[in-house]
Amino acid sequence: MLRHLFTLIWNRKRANLLLISEIFFSFVVLFGVGAVLITTAKNYLAPHGFNYEQVWRLHVRAGQGQKMPRAELDDVLRQVKALPGVRTVALTSGNVPFVFNTNNSVFGYKGKKSPVTNVYDADDHYAETMQMPLREGRWFQSADDGSNHRPVVISQDLRQSLFGNGPALGKIFTWDTPDPNPKAQDEFLVTGVVDPVRMESDFSAPIPSVWLRLLPYDTTHWETANVLVRVAPGAGGVLQEKIARTVAGVTRQWTTEVRVMNDDRLHRRMYTLVPVVGLSIIGLFLIINVALGLFGVLWYNISQRRAEIGLRRAMGATGAGIGWQFLGEMMVVTTFGVVLGILLAVQFPLLNAFDLPVQPYLLAIAAAAGAVYGITALCAWQPSRLAAAIQPAVALREE
Amino acid sequence: MTSAPPVLRLTNIEKIYQTKTIETVALNSVNLTVNRGEFVSIMGPSGCGKSTLLSLMGLLDEPTSGTIEVDGRAVTSYSDKELAGLRNLKIGFVFQSYHLINDLSVVDNVELPLLYRRGMGSKERRQRAIAALDKVGLSARTGHFPSQLSGGQRQRVAIARALAGGPEIILADEPTGNLDSVMGEEIIELLLELNREQGVTIVMVTHDLQQALKTQRVVRFFDGSQVG
Repeated sequence: MLRHLFTLIWNRKRANLLLISEIFFSFVVLFGVGAVLITTAKNYLAPHGFNYEQVWRLHVRAGQGQKMPRAELDDVLRQVKALPGVRTVALTSGNVPFVFNTNNSVFGYKGKKSPVTNVYDADDHYAETMQMPLREGRWFQSADDGSNHRPVVISQDLRQSLFGNGPALGKIFTWDTPDPNPKAQDEFLVTGVVDPVRMESDFSAPIPSVWLRLLPYDTTHWETANVLVRVAPGAGGVLQEKIARTVAGVTRQWTTEVRVMNDDRLHRRMYTLVPVVGLSIIGLFLIINVALGLFGVLWYNISQRRAEIGLRRAMGATGAGIGWQFLGEMMVVTTFGVVLGILLAVQFPLLNAFDLPVQPYLLAIAAAAGAVYGITALCAWQPSRLAAAIQPAVALREE
Repeated sequence: MTSAPPVLRLTNIEKIYQTKTIETVALNSVNLTVNRGEFVSIMGPSGCGKSTLLSLMGLLDEPTSGTIEVDGRAVTSYSDKELAGLRNLKIGFVFQSYHLINDLSVVDNVELPLLYRRGMGSKERRQRAIAALDKVGLSARTGHFPSQLSGGQRQRVAIARALAGGPEIILADEPTGNLDSVMGEEIIELLLELNREQGVTIVMVTHDLQQALKTQRVVRFFDGSQVG
């Protein structure tokens, strides 16, 4: 019977072309939406690689035309750290987690090139403040002051790209296009490796990252400083006010803005959620339209094929058999559309489109195929029941 | 020695079509027996209930009252599945307008009743369909589509389809109604040959007295009742 259905659909391919195209486009839309949703959900469920809870971000400004000598900045950090409720304080670059500020570069090691890598400046207390566990080695410490090269900590994904499965600790790498006469600070000595991190948003994929140790003389030309503060659970507005007063108390010109990292995270995720929800709604409307279209086409199809239904009943088909045949035909038509859709969809993982791993694409193909079969089966169900209920004697007489 | 039961026996058949406002008596107290190997013609004016009778004989419809027996067994209380099985095994249909599926080739059309037969493989189906087409002289047209055939050839395909399942009885509803006299004559000769040489029981509805007189028995209907 299946072969008969395939023959029938193949011979009616012109009449079914519109239906097959509709199913093909539905599959493509569902595949696209599915790939986005699966990737987004997979990222969301992955660990961030650090703990953003109870972390505040201070954006300290020196004031118009003012600089930030390290001694004064250290004084600010010491006094903030001394406040009750403050656990640790770390100095970092402006590209703190969940803000729209990115600093990236490409690195090289013995001819190997890293992917685009996020670059962070971090002091010796950064790992403690961000609660970033180390997989290998150690974070920076004052013993590194005398190092001939700039100490760095790298993420596991950067480690894999530069050193593969070989040892990474103690290795020295450089920018991808190093200076012919490199300075010590442009040669990076790996002291530790951390887990992959997702600092952009809840829905972003891990990006290879490197943390460069902030050297003592680094802040002399700064006009602003970014400070991460880990506070005790329950700390709130009162402590924020105290921090602002403390910063202002050290140097009268300096001001600070205190932001809660979790608020930044919630704010940032809206930038992903809004388009994803929008895309899903558009996809849903499209699918509803397609479903209604299929329903109408099938209804029309059955009314056009009443004589054939009568004939099949006369030849020995049961009413239920006719219903299953129409459902089966719809599944065969769907298979033509889905196969075309799969041929297109598999190009994405094969061509490594959008730099995504293969798994979400395969899951999206499976989900889209399942959804398309589900929708068509649902749409075909009622018209098929209608076909099953047609009286053969009446249908045969109509022509 | 007991004689074999008739292939078909209709006893006190009544068929009434009822709508909210109108009640139409299509058949009234019909008693008809068709014996194995008979060729029976049913004649009567339009609207006298001939096609309704054929639908009932073909188990495509249920009588309002009365009994239908196939091979001596009453089938009035049979389920849809049982009736479908009986139609498939015992009855072949030939229609005035051929009822071929235009999107299927000639051989695929002839295979149609065999698709609903359990346990029959595709190879056997194909062999039986080709054998049936051979019987009607169309074995060279297996790959053609109905639109590529003449009216007479289409009706031959329909007869081959009715024959493919090896039925005991063929019910033909005005099989020559859409054909010119020459082609009509060809079809009647084919049916007569099938009846004579292969012993197929045939019940044919016709308006043509000349054709009816060539059969073994003529049953006449008027206003839903058997008149001769």
